Order: sequence, then C-alpha cells, then structure tokens
Amino acid sequence: MQIKNWKNWFDEAGDMSRFAGRFFSQWFRPRYEVAEFFRQCFIIGYKSLPLVGLTGFIMGLVLTMQLRPSLIDYGVESQLPAMVGIAIVREIGPVIAALIFAGKIGSSIGAELGSMKVTEQIDAMEVSGTNPFKYLVVTRVLATTLMLPVLVMLGDAISLYGSYLGVNIRGVTSFQLFWTQVFDNLSFSDVLPAFIKSFFFGFAVGVVGCYKGYNSRKGTEGVGRSANSAVVLSSILIFIIDLIAVQVTDIFELN
Amino acid sequence: MAKQTISNIKLGVFVITGLLFLILLLYMIGKNENLFGSTFRLRAQFGNVQGLTSGNNIRYAGIQVGTVKKVRILNDTLIEVVMLIETKMKDFIRKNAVVSIGTDGLMGNHVLNITPVAGTADLVGDNDILPVKKMESVDDMMQTLAKTNEDVAVIASQLKNTVLRINSSTAVWEILDDKTVPQHIRSSLINVRSATAKASRLISDLQLVLSDIRDGKGSLGAIITDSSFAQNLQAALLRINEVGADADTLAKTINSLTRQVQDDLDRGGGTANVLLKDSTFARNLRESILNIREGTDGFNEIMEAMKHSFLFRGYFRNLEKQKKANLLLKQ
Repeated sequence: MQIKNWKNWFDEAGDMSRFAGRFFSQWFRPRYEVAEFFRQCFIIGYKSLPLVGLTGFIMGLVLTMQLRPSLIDYGVESQLPAMVGIAIVREIGPVIAALIFAGKIGSSIGAELGSMKVTEQIDAMEVSGTNPFKYLVVTRVLATTLMLPVLVMLGDAISLYGSYLGVNIRGVTSFQLFWTQVFDNLSFSDVLPAFIKSFFFGFAVGVVGCYKGYNSRKGTEGVGRSANSAVVLSSILIFIIDLIAVQVTDIFELN
Repeated sequence: MAKQTISNIKLGVFVITGLLFLILLLYMIGKNENLFGSTFRLRAQFGNVQGLTSGNNIRYAGIQVGTVKKVRILNDTLIEVVMLIETKMKDFIRKNAVVSIGTDGLMGNHVLNITPVAGTADLVGDNDILPVKKMESVDDMMQTLAKTNEDVAVIASQLKNTVLRINSSTAVWEILDDKTVPQHIRSSLINVRSATAKASRLISDLQLVLSDIRDGKGSLGAIITDSSFAQNLQAALLRINEVGADADTLAKTINSLTRQVQDDLDRGGGTANVLLKDSTFARNLRESILNIREGTDGFNEIMEAMKHSFLFRGYFRNLEKQKKANLLLKQ
C-alpha cells in the first residue's frame, strides 16, 4: 500500500511535468487564442487586484507596527521604512500575493476545468475541432504567469503605502522622507529576483490548477477534490520555488 | 462586445499601472546607483580602505554626489578607489579637496567623504587623483583608548591613596570639623575687604598727587616740570659749589694760621706766647686790674662828692627831672 502511494506520487509528478512540457510545446504555435487570453488576463489579473491589494495593504501596515517595538529596542526606529521596504519588496509582497493568487485563481481554474472535464465539455471541444489544451490551458497558464508579476508590483506599492500609514501611527514621517528612505535602501538585487520569481509563482499556480482540473475524475466529487488539491499543491510549490529562488540568488551573489 | 472593450481598458490600465510601478522602482534604484545621468570619474589612493566596496556612497560636504565604482589594488601598499561623480559637481569640486573614508553613523556603511579645503585650486577634471586624508581607524582609536585606560588606572590608584591618607589624617578633619574656621575666614575676608578699600582710596589719592605733579602743581611738581626752577637750582648748586671752594681756602688759611700760632707757642716768640705762656705777664695784668679797680673806687667817691657840692647840684637835679619826664611820656 505504502509502495503504491509512493508510486502514485511519482506518477503524478511525472504526469504534471509532462503536462508542463506540453504547455511549452504548444504555447508558441498557432493558432493563437488572443481574445480568450485577454479575457483570462482580465479575470485572473484585474479581478484579483482588490484581494491582493487589500492583503498587501494590511500586511504592510501590520508588519510596520509589529517591527516598531524591536527596532525601538535597538534604537533604530528611523530605519523602519528601510526595513519594511526591503521586507515587502524582497519577500512579503511576492509570497503573499502569490498565496492569495493561488487561493483565488488556483481553485477557480481547478474547479472550472474540472467541471468541464467531468461534464465532458473538453471531449466535445476536441470533437468539434478546437484544441482544448490551447484554448483552455495555454491561455490560462500564460495569463497567470504574466499577471502575477503585475499583481505583485501593484501589491508592493499598496503595501508600501500601508507601511507609510503604519509608520505615521506612532511617529511623524513625511511621504517624501519615507519614499527616499525606502528607495535609498533598495537595490536591483532586491527588486529583480523578486520580480523574476513571481513569474515562476504564477506559472506554478496556473499549471497546477489546469493539471488538477484537466485530470479531474469521479464526477462532482472529483471537481471539489481537484479544486482543493490545486490550492494546496500550488501553495506548497510557491514555497518550494521561493526556497529555490533564494538559493539561486545566493549563488549569483545578489543578496 | 462593448463589455469586452471595457474589460480590455481595465486590463490595460491594470497592466500598465503595474509595469509603471516596476519601471519607477527600477529607475529610482538606478538613480541612486548613478546608472542614469552623466557622471565623471575621480580617483583616490589609500593605504587601507577599511572595507570600502563598490557601490558605497560618496559625499561632498555631506551631499550625496556619487558612488564608488571600483576598488583595485595597485601594489602592496596602495589601493586605488575609482569614484563615479555626477557631472554637475565638476563646477564645485576643486583639486585640493581631501578624500577620507568615514562611516554612515556609528555602525553604518562606509562612505567616502570629499571635503572642500580653503584656498584656491583648479576645478577637477576627468580621472583626476584627489589627495587623501588618513582617518583614525577604529583599531587605532581602540589602542589609544587602551593606553588612556592604563593611565587612568594609575591615576585612580594614586588618587585612592591620597584619599585614604586624607581620611586617616586627623589634622585635616580637625580643620574641617572646626566650627569657628568659617567665622575666622569670614572676619579675615572682611578685613581683607576693608584693606583693599583703603588701598584703593590710597591709590586714588596717589593718583591725584601724581596727576598734580604731572600738571606742575606743588613744589615737587615745580621741581619736576618747571625748567626755570631747574636752572635756578643749578645756579644755586654752582654757588654752593663755589662757597664750598671758598670754605676750602678759608679752612686752609685757618689751618696755616693755627699752625703758625702753634709754632709761635712752641718757639716762645710772638703775642700769643706772651698771652698764654708768660707767667710774669699774667701777674702784671692782675696787678694792673687791681690798680684799675682802686682807681674806679676813687673816681666813685669823687663823683659822690661832686653831687653834694653846690656847684654841680643844679645840673644833677635837672638830669633827674628829665628822666622822670621821659618815664611819664612812655607811660
């Protein structure tokens, strides 16, 4: 039983890798589903902004207020904007945005494709001559891959504004001084790795959601399970990719 | 289809806003690292850069003007720091400006300070080498501090001995415990105060006198200031001198005279000898005087006889009346 579980696990991992490979072999080939791609971008990117913005704002505010006491202990309260700025841009912004994104988009993709699978809409699409993989999977994965970095950037901006408000709850800092302090302490090695890894986060969420939905089985029960496992797996993958990303940036001495 | 267009606009705004923020972020960071905008290079050569690395900030008189481009070793004792400075600073930095390595705050990053120096010099050009000032490194400061600490320890132990001796000495404590000492000091101070008041009055008087003298008032003033008086004095002194000379000759004359008298006395000749030494002369003189006395006695008797004689009585009576009249007139 134990061996069978392990076998299943590896079987699924291999299947998912093949699924991702299939995406790469298909996404640049005509014909392009441009209208569907933009529609997905709108749903995945634009519609997720309020949620990502709200969590980002709250994270910025809370992080600032939580860090203040320890910084006061060290007598470097004035470094609060710099510290929060680096934390948000390097780590908090991308990871929080990606997790929220995984919860919202991963589940919806998994449920949507799962229900299409179990209602045999995908098979019908194939019969009618449309490439379902191109129409459903490639557009969604591309949309998640490209939209998450944009979401991360906007989430960072909103987060920093929340942090500015957080600094001003107990102290007085002009927006200009806050701005200068944040950017004086940021460097390209803070922004670029975070920006690049958010593409991988988006790709992971899209691929896992599509794979789980595309391979949904056992009727409506399977739809719920694929939605659930899409969220869980993409969240875990986000942390694993984060771990790999920090190691890679360390190798390239960008830290 | 209309709905599709609206959602495309929203999507476009969303994506462009996100990308604009990314560009802004990258631009701000690039501006801080002087990737944009024109720059020029300056160089400085140090013996020890104390951990300065490329990317550290450069400040001119405290203003952020650039970053360290690279740090390279020229030879075993010389390290060259290449600086990227904003071009607009070419109008301000002069060739005699001094470069030193400092830290941002007490524990912060290293910064390179370019300090302007008084005096005229040409403006810097590209790739110029600026003079450097060796700053006290933290190690040097610590070594100095260690030495100072040792000195302080010695001083403290000696101070301790002193205090112990003061504490064990009874004389000092007697003085300190004596309640009358302050009173004495106070009365002494009062005396001192009155003495100084008197002294100041005395000095003012003296000043007055001195000013009088300066103005030529009084005899002393006349002596000091009157030139005619000085001439008179000189003349008087000359006179005194002459008199002195005359007195000298007089004394000489007297001297020779007395010597002559002495000689006469010694040799037994002359009037002096007769007067002083001849005994027969003395006896003769005494007899003569006796004879004169007898003569005068006889004369007195004759005069008395004349007063009583009728011939001369009228004369004497007139004489007596005249005397009385004179006496009345006087009264």
